[in-house]
Amino acid sequence: MLAYALRRLLSALATLAGVLTLVFLLFAAAPGDPATLAARAAGGRPPSPEAVEAFRRLHGLDRPLPVRFLSWSIRAVRLDFGRSFQDGRPVRERLADALPATLLLNASALLLSLVAAVPAGVAAARRPGSRFDRTSAFVFDLLFAAPSFALGLLLLLIFSAKLRWTPLFSDPALGLRGLVLPVATLGLGALALLSRFVRTCVAAALGDPAALAARARGESDAAALRRALRRSAGAFSALASVLVPALLTGSVLVERLFSFPGAGRLLADGVFARDLPVVLGLTLCSGLAVVAASVGADLVSAWLDPRLRDGVLEPAAGGAA
Amino acid sequence: MRVRKEARPVRAATGLGLIAVLALLAPVLARSRPWIEDARGESALSAPVPWDPDAIDLERRLKPPGAGHWLGTDDLGRDVLSRLLHGARVSVGAGLLASAVALLVGSLLGALSGLAGGRADRAVLFAIEVVQSVPALVLVAALAAFLPPSFFLAALLIGLTAWTDSARLVRAESKRLRSAGFVEAARAAGAARGRLLLRHVLPHALPPALATAPYVLGAAVLTEAGLSFLGLGTPPPAASWGRSLADARDLLIDAPWCILPPALALVLLVLSARRLGDAVAERSRIGSA
Repeated sequence: MLAYALRRLLSALATLAGVLTLVFLLFAAAPGDPATLAARAAGGRPPSPEAVEAFRRLHGLDRPLPVRFLSWSIRAVRLDFGRSFQDGRPVRERLADALPATLLLNASALLLSLVAAVPAGVAAARRPGSRFDRTSAFVFDLLFAAPSFALGLLLLLIFSAKLRWTPLFSDPALGLRGLVLPVATLGLGALALLSRFVRTCVAAALGDPAALAARARGESDAAALRRALRRSAGAFSALASVLVPALLTGSVLVERLFSFPGAGRLLADGVFARDLPVVLGLTLCSGLAVVAASVGADLVSAWLDPRLRDGVLEPAAGGAA
Repeated sequence: MRVRKEARPVRAATGLGLIAVLALLAPVLARSRPWIEDARGESALSAPVPWDPDAIDLERRLKPPGAGHWLGTDDLGRDVLSRLLHGARVSVGAGLLASAVALLVGSLLGALSGLAGGRADRAVLFAIEVVQSVPALVLVAALAAFLPPSFFLAALLIGLTAWTDSARLVRAESKRLRSAGFVEAARAAGAARGRLLLRHVLPHALPPALATAPYVLGAAVLTEAGLSFLGLGTPPPAASWGRSLADARDLLIDAPWCILPPALALVLLVLSARRLGDAVAERSRIGSA
């Protein structure tokens, strides 16, 4: 297990190095000078050549590309992404300010969706083709197809504009009222993803010959369900690598929709201000989160199923379900 | 085995087809210029939705749904239905273009990696791993900020983040086909590597990836909508659904009727794409069983 974990961590480090290079090169290859773009976004009209030159020197954009890449990646490894073009504050500081709100949002959404998805998925899997199975499948399909911001807009329309229960702009500083709509929006999207997955896994485990044999030996319903859940655990942990990118994407859109002061809004604002250090840093951080989630998922799967760590079995692709 | 009730690709495709037809016909269905003009240049037969999608008319702003404007108008007096119809062009067009790019890149790289093996294979697998490690919307939005706003560029970028799944599928098939009899025969007959790839391996390795095309389309439509919602991608005044929803955010109190049409249209488009994908997947499972 230790050898597997080390191998997996090494390959994750290589992936991260790849992400780092990809992100930097793509932005370097994009036409348009970041200094001019940022200055124009800030000032509203084309800045003077002297101003652009000064800006460039200030942020080290006058150095050759390989030098910039090296110094940027060496600092990025220490999570130092330079200073924001907008206010000159270190990107790390701005990120540290925004991250708690985003973590709170995502953790609550994940918790909410798990609490609802596991019972719903299990109930649907126990009686495939039943009315509950068909209805829930339809509802979750709808939720799955709905873009998070469209769903959030509907919730805003009902609860903020019509019923006036919740504020039009969300902020965790307002307490529960300021948090409930973004959490519900993000959670409903994750719920759709999760419950489909739980249903597929549990139904497969319940329909297995081993389950039939156990049933023939007189296994009770509850015991059969426990066994099915345990057997699905490996596949279930693989879901983390699908869920995290989905949550990150949802977070960017939902935070923008609700003007929620988190990392997603920081990214959207950075994109608008053409704030290269902020955009690069946050893109890299999202890659870091995805890679960490997929390493975690793989390690848990391998711990649950020794065939994975010995390379006997190819890991299941989480998205296939 | 009898085909089960759910596996009905044709029915699943009708929703998609309907939206595609409306998108194609939008410039004819929704325009202020009449279909037929009489001799004096006046309207003899006007279009069913006689409003241009971008025509600003402040006298008609914030009109609720009713006669004249079936789905109402927004804060600039633009007709919601006309914008809905024209917006389908952006969503469907971007979705089709992006999934075509994704399939093309994915199948070529996948076939190359499966056929060549060794270093090329490891390189492609590594590229897949890296591209999948950044959420598509984050990468596309970040890049779109530093590129000129353009429909084609946005669709291209979306396609370039969405090729990984088809690459994996085609790679697995090509790997299997590498030692198939007819490929060995072609190789023995002296077929060049490119010919082997394009003529012998790819046609057989492609179907599993093609079967997932509806899913790729649905995902691409969602990414495009998200991009437009953030205010990137297709530049205004184009009536994209994502942008319409972003505009509707500011009209929650004054014009709540602006929300439902683009929201439902997006759900319908993505849902039909996914249903088609499910139906095709089920059909092919039944076919091979």
